[in-house]
Amino acid sequence: MSRRARAAAPAVEETFAALADPTRLRVVELLSERPRRAGELSAAFGASAPAMSRHLRVLRASGLVEEERVDDDARVRVYKLRREPFDALSLWLRELESFWSDQLDAFGAHVAKRRAERGR
Amino acid sequence: MSAADCVRVTTVVAADPAAAFELFTSEVDAWWRRGPRFRHGGMRPSTMRFEGGEGGRLLEVYTDAAGGAFEIGRVRVWKPADRLVFEWRGNNFPPGLLTEVEVRFEPAAGGATRVTLEHRGWDRVPLDHPARHGYGASQAFVSMIGLHWADQLAALRARAKTGGAR
Repeated sequence: MSRRARAAAPAVEETFAALADPTRLRVVELLSERPRRAGELSAAFGASAPAMSRHLRVLRASGLVEEERVDDDARVRVYKLRREPFDALSLWLRELESFWSDQLDAFGAHVAKRRAERGR
Repeated sequence: MSAADCVRVTTVVAADPAAAFELFTSEVDAWWRRGPRFRHGGMRPSTMRFEGGEGGRLLEVYTDAAGGAFEIGRVRVWKPADRLVFEWRGNNFPPGLLTEVEVRFEPAAGGATRVTLEHRGWDRVPLDHPARHGYGASQAFVSMIGLHWADQLAALRARAKTGGAR
């Protein structure tokens, strides 16, 4: 899969991997409230700018966040969450539900078959 | 979080709870569907097996020449005719991410059994690896699901504001 395709809809495992860090997880939580500037995020954690920049790079590479220019000032960029990883997770949950639903159907059919065999 | 952190499905089967539990566990290979969607080994021939009792395992045992087995997880609760809880690990799960499946067998009308299966525990399962990885992956999942629902609600609210035009 190309890097571009992966960024568009990151696999659930990649999403987990990107968030397997308390700081990055908290960044995502903060961004869920509203978009924020990198400086704001560093300040919120008392982290150095380079340290925050490393975390943001991981989050960007995994497609969880994106950078956006603020209209009236080209120098200011804000970070915001992307929608796709959430949709991918939702889809993953729906697939899991369908998996178990099919399994229980198969179990019910097996029970009915065993019962028919006994009744013979 | 309670609605979003688990998947729940239910069905009614034509046997009493004791028989249903027995068939669910001892004949698991007979009903567990085959093929890549249902078995971790993909197209490899396999046999599903529950080792009975708490501490037992749910295994996918390969019956081809290469042999071996994939351990889906340990049995946490084994109460015949009543309740079964086992761990669930997918072969694509990151290290430390362990989920839990609970199956309840309740008497239903006409001597039948209502079987309710819940796959859950991303926030409740005590992880075997207290290291960052386990904590992070599990917490991340819960947070992401929470955010997803928050996102959905925000979209709903936005829709309501615009009178549903979208």
